[in-house]
Amino acid sequence: MDKTTSNQVAKLDAEGLSLKSVSLWQTTWRRFFRRKSALVGLVMLGILVFVALTAEIIAPYDPLEVLIGKEPVKMRQAPCIHLLGCPADQPQHIMGVDGNVRDQFSRLLYGARLSLMIGFSTVTFAIVIGTVLGAVAGYFGGWVDNVIMRVMDVLLAFPELLLAIAIVSVLGPGLINALLAIGIVSIPAYARVVRASVLSVREMDYVSATRALGGDNFRILFNRILPNALTPLIVRGTLGIAGAIIDAAALSFLGLGAQPPTPEWGSMLGAERNQVFTAPHLVFYPGFAIMFTVLSFNLLGDGLRDALDPRLAHVSK
Amino acid sequence: MKRNLFIVFSLVLLASMVLSACGPKATEEPAAPAEPAATEAPAAPAYEGLVVEAPNCDYGGEFLKMEAVDEYTVKFTLCYPDPAFPSKAAFTPFAVQPREYLESTGGAPLEKPIGTGPYKVEAWERGNQLVFTRNEDYWGEKAKTPTLVFRWSSESAQRLLELQSGTVDGIDNPGPDDFATIKNDPNLQLLNREALNIFYIGMNNTYPPFDNVKVRQAIAMSIDRQRIVDNFYPEGSVVASHFTPCAIPNGCVGEEWYAFDPVKGKELLAEAGYPNGFETEIAYRDVVRGYLPQPGVVAQDIQAQLKANLNIDAKIVVMESGAFLDAADSGQLSGLHLLGWGADYPDQTNFLDYHFGATSSKQFGEKHPEITEPLKKAASLVGDDVRKPYYEAANNAIRELVPMIPVAHGGSAVAFKAAATGAHASPLGNEYFAVVEIPGQDTLVWMQNAEPISLYCADETDGESLRACEQVTESLLSFEIGGTAVNPGLAESYEANEDLTEWTFHLRKGIKFHDGSTLDANDVIVSWALQWDYAHPLHKGNTGAFTYFNSLFGNFLNAPPQ
Repeated sequence: MDKTTSNQVAKLDAEGLSLKSVSLWQTTWRRFFRRKSALVGLVMLGILVFVALTAEIIAPYDPLEVLIGKEPVKMRQAPCIHLLGCPADQPQHIMGVDGNVRDQFSRLLYGARLSLMIGFSTVTFAIVIGTVLGAVAGYFGGWVDNVIMRVMDVLLAFPELLLAIAIVSVLGPGLINALLAIGIVSIPAYARVVRASVLSVREMDYVSATRALGGDNFRILFNRILPNALTPLIVRGTLGIAGAIIDAAALSFLGLGAQPPTPEWGSMLGAERNQVFTAPHLVFYPGFAIMFTVLSFNLLGDGLRDALDPRLAHVSK
Repeated sequence: MKRNLFIVFSLVLLASMVLSACGPKATEEPAAPAEPAATEAPAAPAYEGLVVEAPNCDYGGEFLKMEAVDEYTVKFTLCYPDPAFPSKAAFTPFAVQPREYLESTGGAPLEKPIGTGPYKVEAWERGNQLVFTRNEDYWGEKAKTPTLVFRWSSESAQRLLELQSGTVDGIDNPGPDDFATIKNDPNLQLLNREALNIFYIGMNNTYPPFDNVKVRQAIAMSIDRQRIVDNFYPEGSVVASHFTPCAIPNGCVGEEWYAFDPVKGKELLAEAGYPNGFETEIAYRDVVRGYLPQPGVVAQDIQAQLKANLNIDAKIVVMESGAFLDAADSGQLSGLHLLGWGADYPDQTNFLDYHFGATSSKQFGEKHPEITEPLKKAASLVGDDVRKPYYEAANNAIRELVPMIPVAHGGSAVAFKAAATGAHASPLGNEYFAVVEIPGQDTLVWMQNAEPISLYCADETDGESLRACEQVTESLLSFEIGGTAVNPGLAESYEANEDLTEWTFHLRKGIKFHDGSTLDANDVIVSWALQWDYAHPLHKGNTGAFTYFNSLFGNFLNAPPQ
């Protein structure tokens, strides 16, 4: 990569004189692994991904299965864990039973799958569109830049969640529409980031060189400029997943996102919000799961940012 | 050119002067109803009593004539006998407001009703609270607490929290899970409300596949109602054997509802041409009612049962309360809908006629003559025994045709601070706060589930609105506090002729409205006639539907052809 030269300089400055050639990604990983909080985030995310992939195996019940008449359990029954002294003749429900007499633990596991899917898909959607818009705006400048960025400014002028609610209200409630809404409202952030990087990379010598060699706009933009403008996008994207998961949970809480009986954390929380005092486990666990997921992405995103930013190299020591 | 302008200008000036001179007359007009079918004639030389009458009974409603015989006597002449007339006359939507006030508001006193009740409306801060102050000139026993405040929250947890922390003095519908908490709290009292209600799953027979009676029957057999009541309803609730609760005379006559039989249901569905089920919706409003204490949970259980027993994929649709009721009444809900009904007055007509009568709303689609005919007949007869065979026939027809599936009569409750005296739960949902008092407090705060929609209850059906009106306005008769018996109200006595078609009410003398004017017979006539007569200049209301009048008394006079 062309950018390694500038990075190496930074690295040499930061780490003393090392003459061995090291690539950007190697330094990044090294710095990343040096940060404990980033590692914690990575491990938490690893657990989540593992749970999401193996939900069928780990979950003791079908998340939609109503246990009325199948087991001697009551609505909103408190957790029963055999290891902690719950009588063995009672069925084990690690996180209790929800208002519709379904196993809360199984629902929570399947919810992890849904939340990760929501996070990745909305952010991917927003990144793809935001990158194209931002790159085009930054590269061509002039009126194209003006039109695109002003539209983005208008989108940014609305509170994110409010705009998402408005979009879902128009499209109708449902998980897919909620994803679309969250995706749309997060486009401007990515478009801005990409535009800023493109603006700085555009004037680099190697871009002029490609142009002098007869490269067309498409080639210059996507082969020369974009790969070198991606770093801030990765960081923004990782942090953005956390935001998207929170937004989706909020929409579901309001009844606009995932529809029952889908085991989505936000809607689980919303359905049992009245039982905070009588059945706290039904509110605590989904809330904790959301917090856990968002925290993992935030830690990971912070770590990535520090690792990728040469100016912060000395901090990572 | 200039001259032309001047002429035009002076003409406009002249015209506006003429108009303003005629103005007062124009506003007086509504006072003298000049509708084609309604005539006005002085009944007594000293008193100009209003008379509104229909040319004949062919228009399809109950009233033939409403008449102010003298200053303190009103007479209603009916087209057919109505044994439930006193109950209806005690009902909040038919409360009396001053004629002049109704005229000055154009028939829509939505924010500030002027009544004769123990409380008057002080201020309605929309979205926040509704404040009443004591009517010091009340004709009966004055309210015990000078200020009454209504607040609302749809969250049962919040209602309980506010009661526990003492910011409110009484709450409606505590969550079923909180019953035990309230009972065990020495500072609180729990008052059970008799289950005079019904929760049902409605279907509209104009939308496929619900136009097929076999589909409706299949669903009726495949919902395990006992499971719903056992798991999601508080104590005191029962599975509904009929639409009407058994406590209502002739409520549960006729055959009992289908037993739970998913195998038979599946067979019927296959016969109807849907062996693999179909896709539909379950619409409901996320509002807690005595008949439906946990809407979301019950909706999900019905969804799960439909999937498990009939392979029907139902999507749950949560709607805003007002929009949901409008959509249901106008027949726009194409799937299943979860709704219920609480008794307004203890008579079969309030349950069956309101929902399945010939003039009921389009909630269940097309009407069935097998149901409407016996209902009409029964409503015209006197005596529970005489009416019984017709209600049997109607109930059996409802079971056969399944316009809806009755699920449960839900027990509910209200909770008050333990120190509150006079606290009660009304089976009709109209708690009367004038008798409630907490020693040492000059303000009583009540928290219900939702904000009133408007305070002109002639055009509201929502219990939260009716309860607020109940404190302010009064009807000819009244219901016993915390009960269902009919007592005198604005009328101190009433009598009927032998075949129950002529009802005469004798008003109490010297009753003052909140605006200081005196109640007389014409106030009663205008309050009633503006609802009855579609062409009345004051027939406006909130939406103009006057749903209760329409469903309790049949067609409007002068209604435009459908």
